[in-house]
Amino acid sequence: MANSWWELQILSDPDLEDSIFWRLGNFGCRGTASENKGDLCLVRAYLPKNQQQLDLAAILLLLRQDAENMGLPVPTIESIVIDEEDWAKSWKEHWQPQEIGDRFLINPAWLPPPEKSTRLILRLDPGVAFGTGNHATTQLCLEALETHVVEGAVVADIGCGSGILSIGALLLGASKVYAVDNDPLAVQSTYSNYELNDISSQRLVVQEGSVERLLELKEPVDGIVCNILAEVIISLVPQMSKLAKSTTWGILSGILVNQANSVTDTLKQNGWSVASLQRQNDWCCLNIQRS
Amino acid sequence: MAKKIVAVIKLALNAGKANPAPPVGPALGQHGVNIMMFCKEYNARTADQVGMVIPVEISVFEDRSFTFVLKTPPASVLIRKAAGVDKGSNEPNKKRVGSITKAQLQEIAQTKLPDLNANDIDAAMKIVAGTAKNMGVAIAD
Repeated sequence: MANSWWELQILSDPDLEDSIFWRLGNFGCRGTASENKGDLCLVRAYLPKNQQQLDLAAILLLLRQDAENMGLPVPTIESIVIDEEDWAKSWKEHWQPQEIGDRFLINPAWLPPPEKSTRLILRLDPGVAFGTGNHATTQLCLEALETHVVEGAVVADIGCGSGILSIGALLLGASKVYAVDNDPLAVQSTYSNYELNDISSQRLVVQEGSVERLLELKEPVDGIVCNILAEVIISLVPQMSKLAKSTTWGILSGILVNQANSVTDTLKQNGWSVASLQRQNDWCCLNIQRS
Repeated sequence: MAKKIVAVIKLALNAGKANPAPPVGPALGQHGVNIMMFCKEYNARTADQVGMVIPVEISVFEDRSFTFVLKTPPASVLIRKAAGVDKGSNEPNKKRVGSITKAQLQEIAQTKLPDLNANDIDAAMKIVAGTAKNMGVAIAD
């Protein structure tokens, strides 16, 4: 091992956090990570072990003094040693190729695609936007796309996140996908991911915004996929309906099972019917069509 | 997209200098977060503030994707800057290293207010004043 680190775990009142950061900086701390633990704050501070002796008693004394100065409870402190590892790579161990539905294989961007797979390989660099293939709602939507997308279909993806559903629709044969997301990082992520999949830029149009951007389209779409959250979907249904023609299908997810009825009610009021409901864990996916 | 948060982690990092070493690696690696992508995004968004400590609050979702928001610098950094001192005191109860005015205290508290456990400016000023005291920085009348 090249190095190891002291990790100090300090449980304190949140008001003491800035003082802790200040104190440990004087002891060579390279940065802190903090999380709320009930009413308290757990600060993890990292000091390179090889460069110095850890004077835990001195640190505790100073933190006690700081807490008493501010009229706060004295924090508790524990120390452990962690070995240096290749953190730039080790997070990747959490990611493996994943088969979804009958046709998809989600392949992390840094792994070579499997040579013998007969599945549609969807390459993805998972990161700053939702939609990595690990969540039930993403899986339900991809499975539903397998059923609905026919060659040449035009699809709208509302709340595209990483772009996984847009890319999935294109791999299944959609001729064009119009994708929108309010989050500029998601738009950027969708662009990066579709480039990974060698898809022509003319087949995917990504814009920052919501369904109002899609209303600028002159033609209705063949299908709509929307994986956001129930309350957002309910608010979008009236505008979503303006994108539809009589044969348009929709795939809606991000809906908890106990929220399905309220979404269904809104859909009915706006000329949609629910053809089927697929469920995974606490989440469901509504396959809808025009009434 | 459907977002369910599994962890919220705040990291205090030097603007423009995030790398996979601690605290980033151990804090985010355990959740399977794409560390290189985080560093790239953080560094891009803080490139114009190099030299400052810019904490960042990262929300990790169920599917290991993430988002983040930048937070205000630690009070100690703002106090040190306002007082024009390089270091605080190791014996704050005995040795003062500098001072800030009440107006500066209020300005720092106003900056920090969104990130502090405080409902109003008075409570925020009390917390910042406590940090200043711990650093050996006096509040001048």
